[in-house]
Amino acid sequence: MNLPAALIAHLALLSLISFGGFPSVLPDLRDFVVGTNGWLTDRDFANCFAIVQAIPGPNMILMTSFIGWQVGGLPTAIASALATFGPSCAVAYTAFRFWDRFRDTAWQSIVRRGLAPVTIGLVIAGGYVMARVGDAGWASLAVTLAAIALMLGTRISPLWLVAAGGALGALGGL
Amino acid sequence: MAYVLNEAPAGPRVTLPALFTTFLKVSLFGFGGPIVWARRFIVEQQHWLTDQEFADLLSLCQFLPGPNVASITVCLGSKLRGPAGAAAGLAGFIVIPWSIGFGLGALLLHFAGVGGLRNTLHGVSAVGAGLIIATGLRLLTPHRTRPMALLFAALAFVGLAIAKLPLLLVVTALAPLSIAAALTERAILR
Repeated sequence: MNLPAALIAHLALLSLISFGGFPSVLPDLRDFVVGTNGWLTDRDFANCFAIVQAIPGPNMILMTSFIGWQVGGLPTAIASALATFGPSCAVAYTAFRFWDRFRDTAWQSIVRRGLAPVTIGLVIAGGYVMARVGDAGWASLAVTLAAIALMLGTRISPLWLVAAGGALGALGGL
Repeated sequence: MAYVLNEAPAGPRVTLPALFTTFLKVSLFGFGGPIVWARRFIVEQQHWLTDQEFADLLSLCQFLPGPNVASITVCLGSKLRGPAGAAAGLAGFIVIPWSIGFGLGALLLHFAGVGGLRNTLHGVSAVGAGLIIATGLRLLTPHRTRPMALLFAALAFVGLAIAKLPLLLVVTALAPLSIAAALTERAILR
């Protein structure tokens, strides 16, 4: 398999198993792109993640597009975007049709209560891995912890936190 | 819990351009928290769903794979106008915002190695990681009184983040066990 095809096949697989949203597949995606295949450096990967925090639009779809762009140019970027949302949207479309039919059944709430903790653990793992990516030092980890505290403890818009993080980085070189 | 998602809406028929433009706005405004904007446009502005219906739809989409808002777009578009509605909403959510975002981001990525921008991106990345962790912790709050739920969340975290196991392995190993645990919880409650 050539490079773009391997990336796109892997993204399509991750799309199908990204329970809890796309952040839960970030650790796996990083291993595949940076570790297994060496297409991007750790810092390139972190840059793709950082850039999509700062621009509008469907950010996880954009992130995989930037990875695709660096692996195989614009066609790979577009194919990566399609592979990120295509399979999961097909699942959503089908699931929505069936879900309602079984809405009052007991097993549905059991499945939901069972799956929720696993997906939540995966989401937190995604954040943890992104916090440790590249050459993250103590200052950088302190910024991550502050962002967690402010998100949980205040009603401040995440946009301000992203802006403050960028400003701190520019001033202090985290 | 009342699910009334598949019933036809009471008001006039929603047009495909309305679906396209609403999800275009959700996507373009969706800095840092598209769910907030999705609720504002869908519930408060268009009155396509009540608050309760939106919460139900969100909880379904959070547990489906893939980007949550993309799933909401597909489900709501399909509820209001069938397959064409799902396609119109998804096209609005993705085509224009993706093009703008890709152009802006490609420019930034080109200069990502330059000193000032490189340091800025470090800071943004650190905050972005914090936002994801905070979202996870907030989702965990309703489960905090269930020891088994906390155990499985911890196992999933350790498996993926510390032991660095493949995602597919973690999901297929833990999901059935966690569902079985939820089943026994229910038996005990009874």
